[in-house]
Amino acid sequence: MAAVYMRRLGKELREIETEAPPAGLRLLKADDFDTWIFQIEVLGDSLYRGERFALKFRFDNTYPFSAPAVQFVVDSQMRAPVHPHVYTNGHICASILGEDWSPTLSVISVCITIQSMLASCKKKELPEGNDTYVRTAPDNPKKTHFVYDDDTV
Amino acid sequence: MDAAATSSNLPAAPRQRTTDLPDIAEPASHSAKVQITEDTDLASLTPAQLYDLNQSAINDLTASDRPLIAPVAPLDVLRAEYERGSQSFVQQIDFLQRQGYQGIRRTRGDGDCFYRSLAFAYIERILASPDRSFAVVQAISTLEAALPMLDAAGYQKMVYEDFYQVLLSLIRRIDEPDMHGQRLTPEVLLEAFQDAEVSNYIVVFLRLLTSAQIRADPDSYAPFLFHPEIGEQMTVHDFCVMFVEAIGKEADHVQVTSLSRALKINVSVAYLDGRSSDGRVDFVQFHNSLNEDEEALALLYRPGHYDLLDKGSIEALSL
Repeated sequence: MAAVYMRRLGKELREIETEAPPAGLRLLKADDFDTWIFQIEVLGDSLYRGERFALKFRFDNTYPFSAPAVQFVVDSQMRAPVHPHVYTNGHICASILGEDWSPTLSVISVCITIQSMLASCKKKELPEGNDTYVRTAPDNPKKTHFVYDDDTV
Repeated sequence: MDAAATSSNLPAAPRQRTTDLPDIAEPASHSAKVQITEDTDLASLTPAQLYDLNQSAINDLTASDRPLIAPVAPLDVLRAEYERGSQSFVQQIDFLQRQGYQGIRRTRGDGDCFYRSLAFAYIERILASPDRSFAVVQAISTLEAALPMLDAAGYQKMVYEDFYQVLLSLIRRIDEPDMHGQRLTPEVLLEAFQDAEVSNYIVVFLRLLTSAQIRADPDSYAPFLFHPEIGEQMTVHDFCVMFVEAIGKEADHVQVTSLSRALKINVSVAYLDGRSSDGRVDFVQFHNSLNEDEEALALLYRPGHYDLLDKGSIEALSL
């Protein structure tokens, strides 16, 4: 029974490859069942018109019982979106990636949630305490205990 | 709860957890300060202190070094644990023994104990059936027939089928050897349920089935969906997401009702709460099998935790 999580991820991957992913999403890398990267953009009218971001998923054998580690890629080419729930190191504060995760969610449903989080943003600003967080944050965002105090943005 | 209540009536409104507490005769702060040692005369303790003692025994069950589900132990073992404590528990355990229950199969108190116990007992029943092939076919056809309900609840097939496959393949192995030529035996079943991956996949499937059943029949359940801690009425969607689908969330009357309906089985839950005046135990019956006479799968409930009751003869227990 080892590695049932790979079977699930294998199926998700086949579905992404055979049926085109939802608009604004493109799979950039999925060479293994450890790390996947998607290109993500918000189509239509939004503060992020014309911007492209890369969203990185990291999995372990607790998937899908617990959420994958999800963050925006920040490197020499890519930047995280400026958003009140996204830190400049790419970490995202979203409840479905923490306590509201459910095994019925999937990689694509996470992407769609992140897209809609960007699409509904009213004002581009950094999260409060960004600098402190980025200085002290663990590499893996799942090790951070976020407090979800505001779901209006 | 009414011992004669059956789920052919509407499910009873879940009780708030605090109603499980004994009446506190003295301020709680007073009872909390007394040091209880092995030499303490239990008769000197207040109901609140006895309750605390019982809760701490139950809290031991949540330790992660406990197996997810254990081999059957004689009910005498449980009785011995209460002998130095509440006599009303001891009387109730004696009552269970007089009803023919000889053993207890304990589960880890991780909030999934209801689903894990029930799944185990469900498969064990098929395995012990005099006509196994028929029992396997019947179980699989009930499960297959329930799948459209999962679709209707909005779960993607890709998402639920892995959980389903794990349960299905265990049931299939009762009648057909797996690729290693091994059929399901009671030992293999126990091993499978002690494997966190297998066990949790099955727990999740039963949670989705329970949730889908509630969502499929919202009018029946909506009046009974209350937040278990704050007692506020909840929507079907919120209740299902927060207290059915989420891993580690305990099951109450609504969940037991809906899962027994989805699986078309009879379940009976023995309430061992030490609060009966005559030493009897109330069995809450959930009768949803097409065959009315089918013996119910028996669960033992102590406030906050479910284990399985076993009628197997004591000689059959591996001691």
